[in-house]
Amino acid sequence: MIMLTSDEANNKKHVVVDVKSNTLRRRKTGVYKMDSSDKDQAFQNNSFLSTLAIGKRKISEELVPPGSHGIFRPKPQHQDYSSSTLGGYARAATNSIGTSIGNLGNILSRKMAASTSQPSVPWPNSKDDYELGKVIGVGATAVVHGAYCKPRNEKCAIKRINLEKWNTSMDELLKEIQAMSSCNHENVVTYYTSFVVREELWLVLKLLEGGSLLDIIKHKMRASNCKHGVFDEATIATVLREVLKGLEYFHSNGQIHRDIKAGNILLGEDGTVQIADFGVSAWLATGRDLSREKVRHTFVGTPCWMAPEVMEQDHGYDFKADIWSFGITAIEMATGTAPYHKYPPMKVLMLTLQNDPPNLDTGAEEKDQYKAYGKTFRKMITDCLQKEAAKRPTAADLLKHPFFKKAKDKKYLQQTLVAIGPSLETRVQKASKRQPGASGRLHRKETGEWVWSSEDEDGGDGSSESDTDSKPMNTLVSAGSSGSDHESSESDPPPVNLVLRMRNAKRELNDIRFEFAVGKDSAEGIASELVGAGLVDGKDITAITQNLQKLIEKRHSLKVVTFQLQSGVASNETPDDKALIGFAQISITD
Amino acid sequence: MPLFGKSQKGPAEVVKALKEAVNALEKGDKKAEKAQEDVSKNLVLIKNMLYGTSESEPQTDIIVAQLAQELYNSNLLLLLVQNLNRIDFEGKKDVAQVFNNILRRQIGTRSPTVEYICTKSEILYTLMSGYEHQEIALNCGTMLRECARYEALAKIMLYSEDFYNFFRYVEVSTFDIASDAFSTFKELLTRHKLLCADFLETNYDKVFNHYQRLLNSENYVTRRQSLKLLGELLLDRHNFTVMTRYISNPDNLKLMMNMLKERSRNIQFEAFHVFKVFVANPNKPKPILDILLRNQDKLVEFLMKFHTDRAEDEQFNDEKAYLIRQIKELKPLPGH
Repeated sequence: MIMLTSDEANNKKHVVVDVKSNTLRRRKTGVYKMDSSDKDQAFQNNSFLSTLAIGKRKISEELVPPGSHGIFRPKPQHQDYSSSTLGGYARAATNSIGTSIGNLGNILSRKMAASTSQPSVPWPNSKDDYELGKVIGVGATAVVHGAYCKPRNEKCAIKRINLEKWNTSMDELLKEIQAMSSCNHENVVTYYTSFVVREELWLVLKLLEGGSLLDIIKHKMRASNCKHGVFDEATIATVLREVLKGLEYFHSNGQIHRDIKAGNILLGEDGTVQIADFGVSAWLATGRDLSREKVRHTFVGTPCWMAPEVMEQDHGYDFKADIWSFGITAIEMATGTAPYHKYPPMKVLMLTLQNDPPNLDTGAEEKDQYKAYGKTFRKMITDCLQKEAAKRPTAADLLKHPFFKKAKDKKYLQQTLVAIGPSLETRVQKASKRQPGASGRLHRKETGEWVWSSEDEDGGDGSSESDTDSKPMNTLVSAGSSGSDHESSESDPPPVNLVLRMRNAKRELNDIRFEFAVGKDSAEGIASELVGAGLVDGKDITAITQNLQKLIEKRHSLKVVTFQLQSGVASNETPDDKALIGFAQISITD
Repeated sequence: MPLFGKSQKGPAEVVKALKEAVNALEKGDKKAEKAQEDVSKNLVLIKNMLYGTSESEPQTDIIVAQLAQELYNSNLLLLLVQNLNRIDFEGKKDVAQVFNNILRRQIGTRSPTVEYICTKSEILYTLMSGYEHQEIALNCGTMLRECARYEALAKIMLYSEDFYNFFRYVEVSTFDIASDAFSTFKELLTRHKLLCADFLETNYDKVFNHYQRLLNSENYVTRRQSLKLLGELLLDRHNFTVMTRYISNPDNLKLMMNMLKERSRNIQFEAFHVFKVFVANPNKPKPILDILLRNQDKLVEFLMKFHTDRAEDEQFNDEKAYLIRQIKELKPLPGH
């Protein structure tokens, strides 16, 4: 006879707050990219938060303007498949396509691809054959490690996707991986293998140690004056030509990437350029169809880079949508940002649809700010950014554009990009810090970023595994992470490290870690950020403000405060200050 | 484009050239490299006839019909599938595209390629065994799923002894291959309702013996996916007989009750959707009723606390409330 134990508590587990950004992205498995140097691991670009996806899902109503704090909410276990509140934008798109799938020119490239047969050991499918290194990138449901494959004696990247948090169907995930594994091109991210480790899926990928182009742009903009442009034309042409080669391959394969942007372009130490993140890539039905799917119910991508026809969804879209994004990426490489990066997503949609196509000077603050860039470059951008998709050149056409005559080789990129970029070490320096015993934590960085991380949930496996310092992490950045002017100078006292322990809406205990810079932060400010982040009920703002204030004032004698919450308890609970039911606790951790 | 000058070759010539090249590749002698090149080139030519290119439209129906006829007569489809592992990376994808296109071809209501493959079932067996080989597994999967769309072909696959290999394929360690095999497996078991119901009824013991292994798999994904599929199969009204049989077995109920308590919330949730069928059954056999009665209070208590955060899922909450009511009202059979 079997017994069901009645105390089977679903609530006991320290389940991780997973995060839905202010807008929902359909199936974000996280970015597989290096993170930038001195800001801890986090999405450095606001665009992550403004990444829009309106599929079968409901899109949340709040579109947060940059500069305000992000909205973080626990991800519901069960997504709402009902209609979209963005109605018109979410209309189903039909594929209107009749494009080539391959031509004789491809024979040459395929021959090269075929010759890469591996005489050595195949990539193993066992966790024990890999040594996980530092965390180099984090996304909503995934974390990417640098890793070492022992039997092959080779470095790689491992993207760990937590499948328990994967609410979309497994088929979606399979499509993403199939998209990757059906690619064999030096400018498209190299997939080695994938396997299941407990509740995680591990994807083994080529390690590109140079980080993403966005990381390098950000780094360069911090390190030097980029007012008149981030990179010279030769660098831009060299990178973009590689991207085009990848895109050409991609398109000939019947795929659209749908999220081309600097953040998804990775660099190897040798100057290799690869297109990454297939999270939103779609199979397109070409000709008489590859996938049979005639209607695409999706709306994905990042607004700043998104082509008008993708936004409109009237006539469907095709490979040319990637060409638009490519044009925006060209602007990004010159000016450091996408043209409408200052605006909230809805505004970006409107500007893109209503205004003339953007150009290099769209985001300029002064006349002639970008005069260093020549006509050919500008012409190439104009070609890509034509509202009428049919008029845009294909990737193959673009490769013949005179601008790309300026392109140089890998070595050149090694000098102009890899050498100046943040080193892997600096990028990951803070990424793997971990507080033993904490169940999950959210750090607020001085720049306004929130970084959430969590431990493995397995209580039954208490042994200290070798990879304990590299548990899955979720990272969030509040939408306004541009506050670098806010950074503390060396003379400031070190901030007080605090942890707020309380139950979330699902009644799971969470630790929310944050710093308090005495003299700079106010208790009220922090409390309202926590509310704004959706981590704390608005009713509790006063209680948290008062108790945080009290703790900060008496921090030399008092280390912990426990207090009652105004938000009360669930109907089946009784308040308990020990179990933190209806109570919360703030403590100083250092 | 000078290269396109050569593409004026007719279907018969291209098919002949491709067949010779594949034969040479199969022999693997010193001309293999040249053969590889020829295979790729001719595959692209055939693909372009079917799909067109950016510069040219697909060929007319007459040419395509000729091409199909040549493919049947030359036995090239089987040859390509048998030598798939020898063809280069892009060529493998081209084979799948050509195969699927030809398979979909219709003359009126007839699907000539389907009829052809029915007489050449070796093609299907070769494709199924493709899951044994990492480098061709996904290409074979693409073709198999296209085949599975046709009832006649699905039937051949379901009723072949090789079908049971899927229980192994869906559990292989490489995730993309295992999941690809799972989608094919699922397609075969769900696509053609009457065929599937008939198959499951006739082979109930064998299938569910194998299926049990999937539900107990070490692999989280296998467990989660197979449990979800089980729920779908049982709740499909076509499978009523199969469902009745499944929910009469106390071992199945025990398994589901244990899965309700799994660590993974997703598995708990899927288990719920199978468990509910046992409870909702108006004619519970005694062994089932006994287990439920023995655990009556605990089950009620458990279900009250089960996934309480799914407040927005109305159907789930209704079903849960219904189960709780049903279990509360359970009474031993009269006369026992």
